[in-house]
Amino acid sequence: MSGEVLVPHPTGDTKEFWEGCKEKRLRFQQCTACGHVRWPPSNLCPNCHSFDFRWIEASGRGKIYTFTVYHMAFYPFWEDKVPYITAVVELEEGPKFLSNIVGAGFQNLSCGTPVEVVWDKAGEYFVPRFRVVG
Amino acid sequence: MKLKDLKEKYAIVGVGYTPQGRVPGRTALSFHLEACANAIADAGLKKNDIDGLICYRRFRSLLGEPEVTPYFLAQMLGITPRYLTQEANCARTHLFHAMAALEMGLCNYVLISYADNALSGRRTFTEEDTHGEPPGDLLLYGQTGFTADYAMAARRAMATFRTGPETWKEIAVAQRRWASLNPRAALRNKPLTYEDYYRSPMVTEPFRLCDACLISDGGRAIVVTSVERARDLKHPVVAIMGLGLANPSYDVHQSPSLAGPTGAKEAGRQAFQMAGITLEDIDACQIYDCFTYTVEITLQEYGFFGPGEGESWFKDGATAPGGKMPVNTSGGLLAEAYFMGLTPLSEGVMQLMGRCQDRQLGVKTGHKEPEIILVSDNGGVLQSHCCTILRRL
Repeated sequence: MSGEVLVPHPTGDTKEFWEGCKEKRLRFQQCTACGHVRWPPSNLCPNCHSFDFRWIEASGRGKIYTFTVYHMAFYPFWEDKVPYITAVVELEEGPKFLSNIVGAGFQNLSCGTPVEVVWDKAGEYFVPRFRVVG
Repeated sequence: MKLKDLKEKYAIVGVGYTPQGRVPGRTALSFHLEACANAIADAGLKKNDIDGLICYRRFRSLLGEPEVTPYFLAQMLGITPRYLTQEANCARTHLFHAMAALEMGLCNYVLISYADNALSGRRTFTEEDTHGEPPGDLLLYGQTGFTADYAMAARRAMATFRTGPETWKEIAVAQRRWASLNPRAALRNKPLTYEDYYRSPMVTEPFRLCDACLISDGGRAIVVTSVERARDLKHPVVAIMGLGLANPSYDVHQSPSLAGPTGAKEAGRQAFQMAGITLEDIDACQIYDCFTYTVEITLQEYGFFGPGEGESWFKDGATAPGGKMPVNTSGGLLAEAYFMGLTPLSEGVMQLMGRCQDRQLGVKTGHKEPEIILVSDNGGVLQSHCCTILRRL
């Protein structure tokens, strides 16, 4: 399916997150009652049930919690992109975020490898992906 | 009422099979109906005896067919069950629903069914996977399907304790050996060596194709009733001795404990407490095996071996015919057919009834004739777990 551009699909909960991504800002909700930083976005803190929160900007740094290498694609857009890597990145601020690991240094990935955000243009948005630090 | 009071109060009294594997030209409904009718007949019952109907997870229908809702299934079975339900997202609570409906006196005979034409209809099990992120956003990253999600769980396990292909190859090979004894098994004529395992193509690293379960056409159904009623029916009584349930619920992308404790630990603890037995009493296991790794983590959480000791525990066909602990004697989801938790559960029942022919545990396979079998069911991506202990009375 060449030419297909995949873009985010903001919901009532994720709209704020994607607005930040337009400016290459990786933002998460932080509960103002208990300090818990959460992902995915919602109106309720799963830790203390407070409805109060603010959006904080994350450093974009974290480490790989786990990852997989796709050698087979299950969606046409990704067919000519194998092998590609998806990973759960544990950000410094706490949330775990599913994304891709891109760029050099593919071969020596492991759980715990430090990574940082890179931004990938998708329509009016930038999509957060990650690369190995250093 | 405590769970313990229900020990050996309810039984599984009938199993319904259908043609399975690649069976083109048939609807999902037709497999449901055949499995259900056969289970009712197998138990020696009539359709009007059935007053409870529980379906496994409802999937988007394929090939333009109507969805097989439990309403539609009841209508086409010609029954009007008092109790009727269906799981939406793989929470593996079917036996609890069945026993609750029986215990409340609402039902006498509960039918549990799963069927799909997934192979002919080319179901990829990608749209069926659910996460906290909108599905469209997951496509941005190419995260599609259960295979990648379980691979992520397995990868985290590899970083936490000693595991990996060296362990999983034993599981794949052993189950293929069981499948060779089962005329119904899809891979009965496809023996697997260690070399074949390593040559199997990578799908989502660290998983190879041989680590993943089958996609199947067909169906399976069982009937649950009281032990009291079961004594009047035709088969040896296979009672539910222990039952345990846990729903850790966390999406694999958010799980705080991806490499354990998983739901199997808590569900296993409950089931063994209810049954009042230990691992020493288990004669065989039928473990939900969507992936080879699922078998390892489940048995590890049940306590058969410590974290990372799986490689030596599974070694040299320990779970294969003649091994120290037979596991997944039909070939399982990896090599027989994928009917969710009903593949392992029905095999546990059939083994205890002594109806497994060439693969029947006993002298023929070099094992003790089984009295107690441990069964697991697992939903989502390690998000729901049911542990069942069956005993032949």
